[in-house]
Amino acid sequence: MTTVKHVPIVKKHRKRFNRHQSDRFKCVDASWRKPKGIDNRVRRRFKGQAAMPKIGYGSNKKTRHMTPSGHKAFLVHNVNDVDLLLMHNHTFAAEISHAVSSRKRIEIIAKAKALGVKVTNPKGRVTTDV
Amino acid sequence: MSYPASSDLLWEITRSNSSFLVKRKTGGGINLSRDPLNLRNIHSRKHSGTVNNQAIGIVPSGKGGISLLTKKKTGATVTQTYKPSKTSRKAYHQIANSTTKKGYRADLREDAIARASALIRSYRKPVKATKESKPRGSKAKASAASAAAADL
Repeated sequence: MTTVKHVPIVKKHRKRFNRHQSDRFKCVDASWRKPKGIDNRVRRRFKGQAAMPKIGYGSNKKTRHMTPSGHKAFLVHNVNDVDLLLMHNHTFAAEISHAVSSRKRIEIIAKAKALGVKVTNPKGRVTTDV
Repeated sequence: MSYPASSDLLWEITRSNSSFLVKRKTGGGINLSRDPLNLRNIHSRKHSGTVNNQAIGIVPSGKGGISLLTKKKTGATVTQTYKPSKTSRKAYHQIANSTTKKGYRADLREDAIARASALIRSYRKPVKATKESKPRGSKAKASAASAAAADL
């Protein structure tokens, strides 16, 4: 399940970009909207203002979409989908689709273990906490 | 002539739409293939089994063995089954000798042996048992408290 050696994953901006003044008004949602006003200080990038998202914050192409383990997620719906990852278990990890029952999840996890495929969400619906 | 159309034409037809094709957009997106004659499950011109006149496939044969699939000139698939043995290298030799060493898709030798090896490895029982995860946070406190209560 180990991954191929890769360049270290660098996240240039770990915090979310919140919409300007979303901290002041509850009617202003935090999801990012670019300020468009003529006098807007965030848009004009004044000192001490919130940073705006831009292309420079993008991740290295080599590590884009990578989980900290170095895998990329591949959505699986059934056991046959896991078989596809036999030759890709160093680059892709199986992610069980949300609508899969616990009975089938157990089968998928067993198959993935046999093939040496990592499962990103092995605990979902399988373990029961009281 | 086995096919009514050339390999290139068949690939142009099947590359965007095929029953073997599995497309995923998450994780940067990847196109995989369920084709049994596709050694790496990669949906590409080189690895596609339907398109190429010659193709190799390695599939599980049940009872812990593997089957080597090859294509005839007529398009029919020939199956050669290898039973499980102590030395898996024997099977690799036979696979290479019967196909790639005879000039039958020599470019797929590495892929064929890698797939055979991966399949044989998947039949083995896992050496390491999965570790039990340590409780963290509030669960760790609760388990420590119950352990302390048991001591008293």
